[in-house]
Amino acid sequence: MAESLQKRLQSELDKYKSVQKDFQKYVMQRQQLDAQLTENNVVKEELNLLKPDATVYKMIGPVLVKQDLEEAKQTVSKRIEYITGEIKRVDTTTKELEKKQESHRDTLSKLQQQFQQAQVKAAMKS
Amino acid sequence: MASPKQVDISQLQVPQLEMLRQQLDQEIELFSTSLQQLKIAQQKFVESEQSLVRMTPDTDGSEILVPLTSSMYVPGKLSDISNVLIDIGTGYYVEMDVNNGKEYFKRKTDYVTKNLEKVQPMLQEKYKLKQVTMEVLQTKIQAQLATKQAAAKT
Repeated sequence: MAESLQKRLQSELDKYKSVQKDFQKYVMQRQQLDAQLTENNVVKEELNLLKPDATVYKMIGPVLVKQDLEEAKQTVSKRIEYITGEIKRVDTTTKELEKKQESHRDTLSKLQQQFQQAQVKAAMKS
Repeated sequence: MASPKQVDISQLQVPQLEMLRQQLDQEIELFSTSLQQLKIAQQKFVESEQSLVRMTPDTDGSEILVPLTSSMYVPGKLSDISNVLIDIGTGYYVEMDVNNGKEYFKRKTDYVTKNLEKVQPMLQEKYKLKQVTMEVLQTKIQAQLATKQAAAKT
């Protein structure tokens, strides 16, 4: 009885840990996306402040390539769009994982209680 | 991240307090690194602006040493002191004249300083919260120990 309970406890704990890991991964991803979004917004602001005839270069690998200001603006806007979409996607996944985490925590604490009760019973018998 | 509803932490149990403490620790670490990075960024912008101040008309054509590596230099001449190329982020570089460049760096320094001023009070707030949490946690643990000892005696 106690052994099977222990096994269940262990497998539940493993599951919880793996969910926790996933959760942390997504939180990290979210932070990175946030940083990218901020940087792109800053660049967009800066590009909007420029005169239309300003010279803009884009770094491609180790070389600087001249680029049209309008084109640069469009690229940055598109990037912002993409990143915002990604953030939404990551947010929904983190919310799901959070719920999963909570349900795992619940079952874990229940199992723990059962386990403790079983132990107390065993101690009483002996 | 902020909890929407007010919770009286003296009502919390020890494990919950422990979780709160861990969360606060993480947040403090995050804010501390952010603060450091912002300070580094601020320093960089200030330095760049100061370099631009040195680009006066009488430095036109003056000899400079261009670093090829960190320990090897080749002599060169300043050919254009009125325009500079500035990295505005995400791989974009813009050609600006010195005055615009100075304005750009001023703007950036202001931006970073503003964010610094935002993060600093947040960090202090977290420190205070952590201290309170630790105090409550300590009293709870001590109370638990006391009841256990009292139970052991009887």
